[in-house]
Amino acid sequence: MQQLVNGIFLGSIYALFAMGYTLVFGVLDLLNLAHQAVFMLGAFIGWLLAVEFGWPLWAAVIGAVAAGAILGLLIERIAFAPLRGRPDAHFAGLISSIALAIVMVAVALGIFGPQTLRFPPGSFPSARVSFAGATVSVLQLVILAVAVTMMLGLNWLVASTRLGRAMRAVAENPRAARVLGINVERVTLITFMLSSALGSTAGILFALAFNSIRVEMGLAIELKGLAVIIVGGMGSLPGAMLGGLLLGLAEVFSVARIGSGWRDVVAFGLLFAILLLRPHGLLGRKRVREV
Amino acid sequence: MADFVRTYNAVLVFMAINGVLAFSMYAVLIAGQLSLAQAAFASIAAYTSALLTINLGLPFPLVVVVGVSVGAIVALLLGLPVLRLRGVFLAIATIGFGEMVRIVALNLDITGGAIGLRPIPKVVTLWQAYLALALCACFFWRLRPSKLGRGLAALREDEVAARAMGIDVVRYKLFAFTVSGAMAGLSGVLFSHFTRFIAPGQFGFERAVEALLYAVVGGTGHWLGPVLGGGFLTFLPELQRQLGVEAGWLRPFYNGLILLAVVLFVPGGLVGLGRPLGVSRRRRFGAAEKAAPSVEAASPAGPSGNGPLVRLEDVGKSYGGLAALANVGFCVERGEVVGLIGPNGAGKTTLINIVTGLTQASTGVVEVRGTRLRRTPANRVTSLGVARTFQQTKLFAHLSARENVAVGGHRVARDTFLRRLVFVPGARRDEASDLARADRCLAMVGLLDRADEPAERFSYGDQRRLEIARALCGEPALLLLDEPAAGMNHVEAQSLADLIRSIAARGVTILLIEHNVRLVMRTCSRVLVLDFGRLIADGPPGEVARDSEVIRAYLGTSADQPSSVPEAGP
Repeated sequence: MQQLVNGIFLGSIYALFAMGYTLVFGVLDLLNLAHQAVFMLGAFIGWLLAVEFGWPLWAAVIGAVAAGAILGLLIERIAFAPLRGRPDAHFAGLISSIALAIVMVAVALGIFGPQTLRFPPGSFPSARVSFAGATVSVLQLVILAVAVTMMLGLNWLVASTRLGRAMRAVAENPRAARVLGINVERVTLITFMLSSALGSTAGILFALAFNSIRVEMGLAIELKGLAVIIVGGMGSLPGAMLGGLLLGLAEVFSVARIGSGWRDVVAFGLLFAILLLRPHGLLGRKRVREV
Repeated sequence: MADFVRTYNAVLVFMAINGVLAFSMYAVLIAGQLSLAQAAFASIAAYTSALLTINLGLPFPLVVVVGVSVGAIVALLLGLPVLRLRGVFLAIATIGFGEMVRIVALNLDITGGAIGLRPIPKVVTLWQAYLALALCACFFWRLRPSKLGRGLAALREDEVAARAMGIDVVRYKLFAFTVSGAMAGLSGVLFSHFTRFIAPGQFGFERAVEALLYAVVGGTGHWLGPVLGGGFLTFLPELQRQLGVEAGWLRPFYNGLILLAVVLFVPGGLVGLGRPLGVSRRRRFGAAEKAAPSVEAASPAGPSGNGPLVRLEDVGKSYGGLAALANVGFCVERGEVVGLIGPNGAGKTTLINIVTGLTQASTGVVEVRGTRLRRTPANRVTSLGVARTFQQTKLFAHLSARENVAVGGHRVARDTFLRRLVFVPGARRDEASDLARADRCLAMVGLLDRADEPAERFSYGDQRRLEIARALCGEPALLLLDEPAAGMNHVEAQSLADLIRSIAARGVTILLIEHNVRLVMRTCSRVLVLDFGRLIADGPPGEVARDSEVIRAYLGTSADQPSSVPEAGP
């Protein structure tokens, strides 16, 4: 039972991160590999606001989310916008986002240094709740609540608002969307901002959950995030949620069964199996290619 | 000089090792595949070779051979399932593979786990490292102008068109992947036998990105790119040290900035900045042109069987519930010029895709030159002597017109790469004759004077003619033209009609899809009409033009007003 709770908890953070990934891919057909740097910076910015500036935790989290949105704007402007219209935009965008991620990680390394940062003792409420044989801290519950709220909020946004409709139109066919009077540029920017806000939220929540902030933290989750969106189906939001939860559970149980050293093999084994057997993922749509 | 070499020995060796790694990335990039498994191949080769040296004390040359082979074999085994994936999916799968290799190395006992392996004898000398680099460079120098190199470039530009030209895309990708694995393996062996110590962390995702960095910054347009990229980026930190600037974050910072700047502003990379290299290549092509002997007519080759060239029987194709074609049956006999007309969405392009193997019919029998097509890949159909053009032109945009056409000659060209690699003079003759054949086809469509220009610079009408030249270069028995006159004006269409007639006069059978009814009537000996996926007419042009059902399909009028189509007359 405890394992199950831990798995869901970890999985919800993975899911949140992966939804940001898959949102950009689903709407814009681009893979943004700078997403991991946003995750890492979200954690650092939250820490900076809470510890150095003395903001209350909830305000620091909101600050990190806002900073994430701004980072998304920068990523789109710097790494993707200049490539628009180039025939190799997919390829080049992948590489330019890797490049931007390297720069962002280097900047964080320059500012915060290579050591692990922690929140000082007593930063978090220490209350714990037990039910059905599992113990959960209040902090964990709050983290889970934030993650789930944001996931549901994003789903609602994409499914039921005017903006979401515009996003789906752009996903279907950017040129047609433009003809219909949708400001594709604006939708693109907003998509990146939303995506990065989710990424940075996942970062700060991860930092709170494990009380550990390191420059390298993005890299590990980037690879897992890729596994999640492949397993769930590229571009599918519910798929990313499902994939995130699956991965969280699989990790927690594999640590218990086969040891922590081999934990990550599970994620990538899953990734391979899905890629080879069902490349469009569990919940993804098969794309029909026009000759 | 000797002092310089002694002082900077380590940096110079690393410049070469990283150059070799850059070549392994280059190998896949020139085929248009973004694979990030290079670090993993290097890692496997590094561990294997280090263990052989430490435990068995094998001589170094043998260890190199084993390491390179291991890299190549692993790449081949990974490539078999993974190369079906395209674009970002391939990148993700290879990233995942790299991560698995790292985790396995981290957890095995034999690899020393996180602590790594040491001490490995340091046996790599400066000249050995540069010999390895030179061998890689030589490989790609010889590769590019060969049939194989041209095919890889075509694959990078447009995979579907490459398949339609008869290129076995899977084999070509596997070749690129295997070469990449071999070179990554080489860099891994050199690395482990120079640094004396290896650990899983040295071959993680960062190292894979480094390989990408070297290759992209160096540039993928020329075989010197990886040498420049690997050398330059390995030398930079040394320069930084000389300047007395020490900061751990600085190196990734400027590496990232350089990569970003190159991707955004100089897609050609460092070699792209030095254009003069491109000129020498052009001169060589010029020489080939002159070496071409007197022009003999391009003639259709291949086995001449009896019976119809194309036979369709009861062919149907449905997408989901939508029937694009139903019960279509006809034959095309040798030497015919058959027109295929029909309103938009009638299934004309679907039909061509089925005949060329790009799609499979859902039902019915399709035979091309006596061979029944059952999930036969497009490249195999092409090798039967079928060539086509595309409704929306699919040229290899960055290749010159001559290279475009030469790729079209894939079916009849002889493989020259291995002979080129060891400088056998016959290879050169074969290449010259390939290019001469391409030039003859260019001359046929009147584009010979622009042979060196990249295809993307051609006007719409010229691109269509270039596609025809490319299709002709394979000396097909059957030529399928998919709306060649679309977007052409009256005069251009007139000269296209002349061109089609002259091709037919050489004995090439032609199936012409066209909306320009006048062009069809003027060039074809027989006309087929498709409407909503059904064949509604088949006969000589004059007869078809008077057919009441055809008139209804085209004009939507009822059959009792036939007088309203004067336009369709011959």
